[in-house]
Amino acid sequence: MLDNNPRIIGDQRLLGVVPGKPGVGDRQEPAAEDKVMVFPHLLIRHAVAVLFVLLVVMLIALFFNAPLRELANPMVTPNPEKAPWYFAALQELLAHFHPLVAGVLVPGAIIMGLVALPYVDRNPSLDPRKRQIARAAFTVFMVLWIALTLIGFMFRGENWSWVWPWEEWHGEL
Amino acid sequence: MSEISRRSFLSAAWKVGFGLMAAAGAVTTLGLLKPQLAAGFAAIVRTIAPNEVPEAGVLEVPEARGYLVNVDGEEVLALSETCPHLGCRVPFIDENNRFECPCHGSKFTREGDYVEGPAPRGMDAYATEIVDGVIEIHTTEVTPGPPPGTERT
Amino acid sequence: MKTIERVRNSTIGRSFFRTPNRVTERDRAAGHWSNFLLHLYPVKVRKIELTFKYTAFLGVASIALFGSLLVSGIFLMFFYVPSPANAYGDIQAIQTEVIFGQYLRNVHRWSAHLMVLAVAAHMARVFYRGAYKPPKEVNWVIGVVLLVLTLLLSFTGYLLPWDQLAYWAVTVGTAMAAYVPLIGDQVQQLLLGGSTVGSATLLRFYVLHVAVLPVALIAVVTAHIWRWRKDSMLTMDADPGGADA
Ligand code: HEM
Ligand code: FES
Repeated sequence: MLDNNPRIIGDQRLLGVVPGKPGVGDRQEPAAEDKVMVFPHLLIRHAVAVLFVLLVVMLIALFFNAPLRELANPMVTPNPEKAPWYFAALQELLAHFHPLVAGVLVPGAIIMGLVALPYVDRNPSLDPRKRQIARAAFTVFMVLWIALTLIGFMFRGENWSWVWPWEEWHGEL
Repeated sequence: MSEISRRSFLSAAWKVGFGLMAAAGAVTTLGLLKPQLAAGFAAIVRTIAPNEVPEAGVLEVPEARGYLVNVDGEEVLALSETCPHLGCRVPFIDENNRFECPCHGSKFTREGDYVEGPAPRGMDAYATEIVDGVIEIHTTEVTPGPPPGTERT
Repeated sequence: MKTIERVRNSTIGRSFFRTPNRVTERDRAAGHWSNFLLHLYPVKVRKIELTFKYTAFLGVASIALFGSLLVSGIFLMFFYVPSPANAYGDIQAIQTEVIFGQYLRNVHRWSAHLMVLAVAAHMARVFYRGAYKPPKEVNWVIGVVLLVLTLLLSFTGYLLPWDQLAYWAVTVGTAMAAYVPLIGDQVQQLLLGGSTVGSATLLRFYVLHVAVLPVALIAVVTAHIWRWRKDSMLTMDADPGGADA
């Protein structure tokens, strides 16, 4: 199908031909009426999303100041000592398990698990009802992780003992 | 040797070339970034005479980032105040007569032996020496603390 | 609008915007190919991609937050010296002496937190939509790399104010590395540049935070979006477009 004379339609040249069916697996192109132009339909939505996000950042930054504690002092560990909130779940695990488990094996397993996910879950269906196992497993993981994060972030006080956040607040951002 | 065609030789050669380059880059990076280890703080800290160390509680030696503990009137231990778990400074809590780490709640006896918590061992100890009747702490010579359930000998 | 048209159709305008008027679909498609930023986008997407529930625009939100971090971060760099003697005082000065300094520091800090949230939520949305399934596996893996890079950027930035929060969080975080079997101690020393958190650590984290990691993130995000563009039209035989999500 090689054409040595590039076809000219209007004033545009036909530069290349792509396979009608993608090379990978048994995927297919959606029907023509299911497609829309990115310019402007998707671009305008993305622009609004960006504006919205920047507005939220601006409002938060206007009304809440970033924290700054005392100057670093190697002689005094604050009590409680809090990791940033996105590591609060790990810190909570570190309080219960050997550091090789909580600090190395668990995070390593989570990352390897995420990387492996698309190669382990070979069920082709996108229908939520047909992928209940995958959804349940992921949901359990997320709920556990969020719960651990909240515990480490808000429910731990001096000497990493349990506190109620409405009685004493120890969260650090 | 005549089995190797010119084409396959060249195609292997550039791959090996890139491999060597990458290896050289990795070695350079590691060598460059590897810290030249010097003791973080004063290597030898002179303190006081053994019989001046109080028999109750502990004596903090900030210059050595550690504590002197009078074990039984004659033997004096120099404990590192760096938690064997993840490096927080472990304060001595007088009311409970033990060390309690604020970070993940590891607890140690006054002698630095493991009581509870996520730490994998008891508190580390510095080597000491008595010079002219005064305890000298060698902060670069650290003995790891005893495993849980055992005591320092 | 008239003026914009005139500028676009002038000699300079035409040299810049290769396809001046975007009236027909063909012109718009051509516009994608001649504009660097637009060419990262596909020309067409499936209709469902326009709906909120499909992506919740979380990938886009992550990029917006990263942009906000780049801009505010560059401003902060003008006033910050990464050494234990200066760092803390510089942050204080940014808050009290630099005009809009406190605001910019706030923007940087809160954008960082929000970006971690947005990236995590984006990952969850992609999961529940099943968008990691063939042929999009590689983009999911690229996404995991982005998640790790985002966390590393946040964590290296956390040390820079050199306050108590920063110092001890990094002490604990780097001590974790020491438990990696065999190479743990070397990894920890490589991160710290010494045996404890000190001036070498601050400098190392700074270089990672303002140079190495952002450049890596930009490169990987570009690959991520390009992969998204390449895969955006592919649907699965079992569920013709629209029935998923
Ligand atoms: C710095 C962080 C990230 C940025 C800036 C980013 C950005 C984006 C953007 C703009 C899109 C296309 C539109 C959309 O779906 O919203 C996208 C799609 C995608 N992202 Fe991310 N992403 C990030 C992290 C991640 C992570 C952590 C994952 C998962 C582990 C991930 C997996 C995916 C996948 C699989 C798609 C394709 C979805 C589809 O084709 O329907 N991304 N990303
Ligand atoms: S650092 Fe002391 S218990 Fe974790």
